[in-house]
Amino acid sequence: MVCPNCGSNMSDKKTQCERCGTDLTLYRKIIRTSNSYYNNGLARAKVHDLSGAVVALRKCLELNKMHTSARNLLGLTYFAMGETVSALSEWVISKHFQPGNNDANEYIQKIQANPTRLDTINQAIKRYNSALTFSKQGSEDLAIIQLKKVVTLNPNFIRAYQLLALLHMKCGEYEKAKRYLNKASKIDVSNTTTLRFMRELESPAAKDMELNPEAEHNYNYSSTIVPVSTYREDKPNIIAFVNLVIGVLIGLAFMAFLGLPSLKNNNNSNTVEGENKTTTQVLLKQKEDEIKDLTTKNSDLNNKIKDLQTQIDTAVVPGDVAGSFDAVLAVTGQYITELGKSKGSRDFTAIADSLAAIDDTKLDSEAATNLLKSMRDTVYPDIAGENYHKGHLKYNSKKYDEAVILFKKAMQFDSKDVDYVYFVARCYDYMDDNTNATLYYNKVITGFPDSDRVKSAKQFLNKIQG
Amino acid sequence: MINFDEEIEKFQPSLEIEQAEDVITNNDLTDVSDILKELLKENKDK
Repeated sequence: MVCPNCGSNMSDKKTQCERCGTDLTLYRKIIRTSNSYYNNGLARAKVHDLSGAVVALRKCLELNKMHTSARNLLGLTYFAMGETVSALSEWVISKHFQPGNNDANEYIQKIQANPTRLDTINQAIKRYNSALTFSKQGSEDLAIIQLKKVVTLNPNFIRAYQLLALLHMKCGEYEKAKRYLNKASKIDVSNTTTLRFMRELESPAAKDMELNPEAEHNYNYSSTIVPVSTYREDKPNIIAFVNLVIGVLIGLAFMAFLGLPSLKNNNNSNTVEGENKTTTQVLLKQKEDEIKDLTTKNSDLNNKIKDLQTQIDTAVVPGDVAGSFDAVLAVTGQYITELGKSKGSRDFTAIADSLAAIDDTKLDSEAATNLLKSMRDTVYPDIAGENYHKGHLKYNSKKYDEAVILFKKAMQFDSKDVDYVYFVARCYDYMDDNTNATLYYNKVITGFPDSDRVKSAKQFLNKIQG
Repeated sequence: MINFDEEIEKFQPSLEIEQAEDVITNNDLTDVSDILKELLKENKDK
């Protein structure tokens, strides 16, 4: 406990301040009573008696404004009743008296952390004030619309429910009023205003209205009753008939002056359109014929292209002939070069190979063929003799495999000399290749029957076959 | 039977959030303890 005079802390049991000597008996009673009210308020708040809790907590704070728990609880109670501004005010004051270790800090923080919710609450308050103004001005319908929105935005706003119920009661809508009062009653069970309105709903007059709603509605309906006119029998109306005839005549005139010309125009336009259509069809046919002709021409040309392609493919390529002539010219050049050399240093071996490689059948020119023949007649015997000489050296040194190649080459350049054939046969004979030996012996016998080599060839052949 | 107009008149406008500051500032926070302190002070002065 704090001494109200000097502010020093002391035990709760002391009746006098030890520091300043002030008598604390009365002060202690005040604090006790304040606490008692707080307990009462807390008990009421726990059972949703919010109005009772507010009264008790206010008493508590009137005795001891420093009772932060009571102030925080009062704020919570206000908040539960939808009175957010009052709640915030209590928490702010509580924070002022006890800045640290105070639940009010958390409450304020939670409210501030959700600005959207705060804005919604403020909108509800503004609409409630607006509805209250409408109510005081007698515009119950507008007020009810606003208040319905208010209770949607802030479903704990007890005053809005009460006002809504009161307005419905004023309009005779007791059932709706009851519904809203029940909702208010669920939030705050012992609100005197709610209870008073509910009692009013249970009064005999209200019950009569509820049971016999037509009693009230009859009055309203009376204003909408329309007097029934007296019965009159229908008589033939000549003016109406005349009006009908005039209308028909006007219609016909309209048709004659406006409708028919436009129909004629339509017909004309249809004719022109038909002519255009015919012309288009003729043009279309012409174009189709042209397309057919062109297609036929195209196919003919394609066939021609195919024929020409075939001719190209089957034709002799002039390039090959040119190539043959090139070879002739090349070998002629080589031959002239060798002739330019001294007799001992001439080498016709390469020229002979080149001459052998040229295909005479590809040459149309007789001059070229003659040129080749003259060169071959000059070169071939020398080359054949040279190869035969080399081959014989190999033959004497018993290198028959090498010798047979050289003898065959000599045969290639000069096929009229029997010795070349005979020694090919001899080489094969020494190499025990009886098949080739027989072949070449027979060539000697049949190819050169008058030769001196025939006798020897027959002897060796008999030996092989023998 | 209640008088609806009278009942409506009893309803007071709700405080808007913008008015919270004024409410806090103008709140009379005098309690019985303050009154007691005043009395004690007056007695002491006498």
